[in-house]
Amino acid sequence: MTDNNSHSGTDSSTEPTVETDGGVRTEEYLDKEINIFKPATPFMRDHLKVIWASFLAWILVVFGPVTGALLAPEVFAETTVLGGFPLHFVLTAIFTPLGALVLSVAYAMQRDRLDTRYGISHEGASEVAESDTVAADGGD
Amino acid sequence: MSGRFLFGDILVSDVVQAGLPLETALDVGAFKLVPALTVVAMLALFLGVGYVFRVAAVDELWVAGRSIGSIENGMAIGANWMSAASYLGVASLVAVSGYFGLAYVVGWTTGYFILLIFMAAQFRRFGKYTAPDFVGDRFYSDWARGIAAFTTLAIAFTYAIGQASGMGLMAQYIFGISYEMGVIVLMAVTIGYVALSGMLGTTKNMAIQYVILIIAFTLGLYATGWTEGWATALPYLEFGSEVAEAASIEAQFVEPFAEAGYYAWIALAFSLIVGTCGLPHVLVRFYTVDNERTARWSTVWGLFFICLLYWGTATYAAWGGLLYDREVTDGGGFSGMSGAESDALVVLTTQLADLPEWLVGLVAAGAVAAALATTAGLFISASSAAAHDIYTNLYKQDATQREQLIVGRLTIVGIGILVALIGLNPPALIGELVAMSFAIAGTVFFPVFFLGLWWENTTQEGAIAGMLTGIVLSFGAILNDTAIPMYTGYEDHVNATLATWLPGTSSALLGVPIVFAVIILVSVVTTAPPDEVKRLVRQCHSPEPMARTESAEDAAGSGAPADD
Repeated sequence: MTDNNSHSGTDSSTEPTVETDGGVRTEEYLDKEINIFKPATPFMRDHLKVIWASFLAWILVVFGPVTGALLAPEVFAETTVLGGFPLHFVLTAIFTPLGALVLSVAYAMQRDRLDTRYGISHEGASEVAESDTVAADGGD
Repeated sequence: MSGRFLFGDILVSDVVQAGLPLETALDVGAFKLVPALTVVAMLALFLGVGYVFRVAAVDELWVAGRSIGSIENGMAIGANWMSAASYLGVASLVAVSGYFGLAYVVGWTTGYFILLIFMAAQFRRFGKYTAPDFVGDRFYSDWARGIAAFTTLAIAFTYAIGQASGMGLMAQYIFGISYEMGVIVLMAVTIGYVALSGMLGTTKNMAIQYVILIIAFTLGLYATGWTEGWATALPYLEFGSEVAEAASIEAQFVEPFAEAGYYAWIALAFSLIVGTCGLPHVLVRFYTVDNERTARWSTVWGLFFICLLYWGTATYAAWGGLLYDREVTDGGGFSGMSGAESDALVVLTTQLADLPEWLVGLVAAGAVAAALATTAGLFISASSAAAHDIYTNLYKQDATQREQLIVGRLTIVGIGILVALIGLNPPALIGELVAMSFAIAGTVFFPVFFLGLWWENTTQEGAIAGMLTGIVLSFGAILNDTAIPMYTGYEDHVNATLATWLPGTSSALLGVPIVFAVIILVSVVTTAPPDEVKRLVRQCHSPEPMARTESAEDAAGSGAPADD
C-alpha cells in the first residue's frame, strides 16, 4: 500500500485521506497492524491524535492541583477562593471531576466529527452496513 | 426549628440523646416506621420491575439483548458504579483524612475518561459478554479465561464486603436492629433480588436506582444547607466558609499532605483510575447498547451522573464535620469519630442538622439502593464467571443452560454468605475495602485489557504471566496491610516498607508498570498470536460500523478459518 505512505507525509491537519482510500473498507483495516505507537491506517492516525491530545489535557486536569500543592504551596494552599476554599481543595474536589467531564464531552464530539469525516454512520448499523457511503461534504 | 440549633453550643439534638450507650452518634435505638416503609416500597419497586422484565434464557440474563439507549445506560452505569463506597464512604474518608480523601473523589470520577478514550468503543466492538470472555478469546487460552474468572470472583467478593458494611449501618438506623442483623437481612434481600430478576430487569432497575439514590443524596444535601443557612442554590460551590471553619478546627482537613504524602495520594488516585478501567461489572454495561457510538456517549452520560453525586461528597464531609464538632463532641473536633460514625456520616449529617425523620430515612434508603444496585451487578458478573467461564469452559463443555443457571445461582448464594460473614466485622472502612478491589482490577485486568486492545502482538503467555504477577502484587499488598493484621497478632502491617510503597488500596501505581513490563517482555520472546486473533484486534479499531449483534469474531472471521 504505497499510497498510504505518501499520505502520512502530507497529512498534517487539513482534510486528510478520505478521498483516496475511501474511509471504511474493512478488508484493508484487517490487514494493518495494531500498535498504539505505530498507527498504520489514516483513521487510526487521526483517532490517536485526538486520543493523545485529550489524554495530555486530562493529566494536567487530574494531577495538576495536587502537584501544584506540592511544588507551590504558597499559591495553591494559601490562596482562598469562593468565600474560604483553599485553592487546591476546591480545584481537586470540584473542578477536576468537572474537567474530566468536559474533556469526555469534547472527545466524544471530536470522535463523532471523525466519524462524519470518514463517512461512518452508526444509525443504520443494525442493518447490513453500507461500506461505500463516504461523506461527500467531508467533515468539519 | 433550625434556629434553636443554629448557634447553640451544647444542645445535643433529642434523637441523639435518646440513644443507647454512645458507640455511635447515629440514632440506632428505635425502629422508624416511615424510613422502614421507604425501604420496603423501594425494594418492592425493584422486585416488581425485575419481575416484569424477568428472563429465563441464560443469554438474556447476561446481556439484555442490547437494546438500551445512551442516557438510560448512562444512569445504569452510574447506579452500577456508585455503591455504598461512593454514597457513604467517600464523604467519610474526606472527613477523617482531609485532602487525602479527595484522592478518592478524583480516582472514582476521572477514570471514566480513560475508559472512554482507550477502551469503551473497542470493547463494544469486540462484542464479548464478560471480562473472562474477552480475556479468553483475545488471548486464545482457557487458562487465561480461568485466571480472569478467578479475578472477577475475587473483585466481586472484596467489593461486596464494603457494601455489606454499608447495609448493616443503614439497617441499624432504619430498623433499629443490630448491625450484624442488618448485614444478614439486607444481604439475604440482595441475593433474593438478584436471583429473581435477570440482567434485563437489572438494567431497567439500575436507571430507577440511580434516580432514587441521586434524589436522596441531593435532597439531604440541599436541606442541610438550607436549615443551617450554609447554602442556597449551588451548595457545591458554597461551602467555602465551612471548609475554612472545619480547617480551623482540624487543620489536617485541608493541609495537602498532612494525612499521607504525595506518593500515597498519587498512588491511590492512579489505582482507582486504572481500577475503573478494569472492573468486570462496569465493562458489561458496554455490551448492552446498540453500537459503539452509544457506548461512547453512555460513558459520557455515566460520568455526568456520577459527578452529580461526587461534587456533593466534599460538601457533606465539611458540613458533617462541623455538625459533629458542634453536636456530638461539643467543640472537641471531628477527626476522632469512630469508623461506624464516619461511614454513616452522610446520614449522620442530615440527622444532626435536625432534618425530619422521613428525610433522614430517605437518605439512608438511598444508601441501601446504592449498595444493592452495585452488589447486584457484582453478583451477576461473579455468577457468569463461575457458570460460564469456569464451569462450562474449563470443566464441562456440554453443560446445559439449566445447569449453568443453577451453578450461577449457587455462586451468588455462596458469595453472599461469605460476604455477610466477613462483613459482620469488616477489616477496614467501606471506601478502603472497595479501593482494594479497584487495586486488584487495576493491577490484574487493566494491563491485559489495554495491551490486548492496543497491541496485537500481545501473546497468551504474556497475558497469563502478567495476570499472575498482578495477582501476586495486589493480593500480597492486601494481605500485608489488611487481611493478615486483621486476623492475626500483627499490628497495622507485616512489613512496613511494603505497606508504604505498595498499600493494599493503592498497589496499582507500582503494580501496573511492572505487569506491563512482564506482559511485553514475555510477548516479545514468545510466538506471535495467530492471524485470526490479530484480525479480531484490528476489527476493534476499524472505522467500519458493525451490526447490532455482531461481534469482532463474526466480522473478522470471514477471511480466516474459525477456530472453534
